[in-house]
Amino acid sequence: MTAAGDAPAPAPGSLERQTRRLLRWYPGSWRERYGEEFAELLLAELAEQPRAWRRTVNVARCGITARLAAAGLAGPPASTAGARASLGTLTCSLAVFLTFGTAMWAQLAVGWQWAPPATTATAVAMLVMSGSLLLLAVLALLAAVPVGWVAITAGFRQQARGLRAPALLTGAASLVLVVGGRHFGNGWPGTGGHWWPHQGLAPGGIAAFGWASTLSVTSYWAHAAALASFPPAEVAWMAASPAALLSLATGAVRLVRRLELSPRVLAYETRIGRAAAAGMTAFLAGALCWVTQAGPGPHGLFRTGDIDAAGLAVMAAALATGWLAISRARPIPPVRAAGHQ
Amino acid sequence: MATSRQPGDDPSPLGSLGRSAGPATLILSSLADGAKHGYALTKDIEAFAGVRLAPGTLYEALSRLEGQGLIEALASDDRRRPYRLTAAGAEALHAHLQAQRHVADVGLRRLAGSWGVA
Repeated sequence: MTAAGDAPAPAPGSLERQTRRLLRWYPGSWRERYGEEFAELLLAELAEQPRAWRRTVNVARCGITARLAAAGLAGPPASTAGARASLGTLTCSLAVFLTFGTAMWAQLAVGWQWAPPATTATAVAMLVMSGSLLLLAVLALLAAVPVGWVAITAGFRQQARGLRAPALLTGAASLVLVVGGRHFGNGWPGTGGHWWPHQGLAPGGIAAFGWASTLSVTSYWAHAAALASFPPAEVAWMAASPAALLSLATGAVRLVRRLELSPRVLAYETRIGRAAAAGMTAFLAGALCWVTQAGPGPHGLFRTGDIDAAGLAVMAAALATGWLAISRARPIPPVRAAGHQ
Repeated sequence: MATSRQPGDDPSPLGSLGRSAGPATLILSSLADGAKHGYALTKDIEAFAGVRLAPGTLYEALSRLEGQGLIEALASDDRRRPYRLTAAGAEALHAHLQAQRHVADVGLRRLAGSWGVA
């Protein structure tokens, strides 16, 4: 029996449910390490004080912070695992940025195959975007070499447990993107098969491949009637290619997070990451120049639309996340006792 | 050229914990007399400092302290896992409390001189 005015004591099952709900704020890795003992503490707290909105807010805030820390975006960068998480988040940001950036660049590169831009702003924007994209491609290659080497040597030493699935996912997704991009790129009139065009800043084959592999980044999704007139295979590719892009990014991020990279390799990858963030910044400046300054150009080949404005917003968000992640990728050696007893 | 220290600068390991430095000091002080699990820590801190650490804040600080090697988890048969201070943690707590004591001494001395507050 409860005293007059007191809320009835909650049943043990309800406390368990409340505890499980609160634990969901935290990431899986955190729950795996602290979940049981934290649940015990919550059960004791809930039994003492069943309703406390401040406690709920506190757990939610700390859970979100733990999720950000797991992504290398919060908390002290005190461990190599934290640095790996930051590099993983940068890889993820770069994947999102490149998807929208390549879609934008390919539109301009394909347009230039037909006619050069009429305004200096478009030409400068295209030069900046092409240069940045080339830099990012070189940096991606430089970053992939040591990671690939560590993955291969781990495989030879039978330490590839947990690496096989992300490696297979990355390989399969790359294959799907290359095959699909080549297939649908060749179907694009005016560029397919013309690797070295008579005009234009970028080889036609590369422009067509970039266009085809990011075909899903389009405003046609909002125009069902126009979309219905497309060949079914192309619509299927538009729906399937984001899954391939997502799988590629997921596989790469998991590889980076699971590989035991030495402090030297981590420092090297961090330097590459900073250069990549600078390259992304330059690309975004070029894209901003095109969207805000350039006109439609001859035959409307360089016209901007809502999808480009949306792309700019997504790239800006990805860039901000990437800079935050890479600024935290500083492995700090653990504290050592200096003989104090 | 020597640079002056800024307010809030703390070269000790606890200083690098930012907003968790307060809870960290309370936790390390509580563990200074022996190992305790989460709920025992909450109760002990409430008793000696008059502060009740919210569960999220407590475990945020515990995970950071463990990550920095200032505390370590002990094996346990039940779901409540006790923590104890490491040698590095004892050293960091000692340095931090000495610095706090210096600030407290200066403040009290000046209060006594200018305001007559003993």
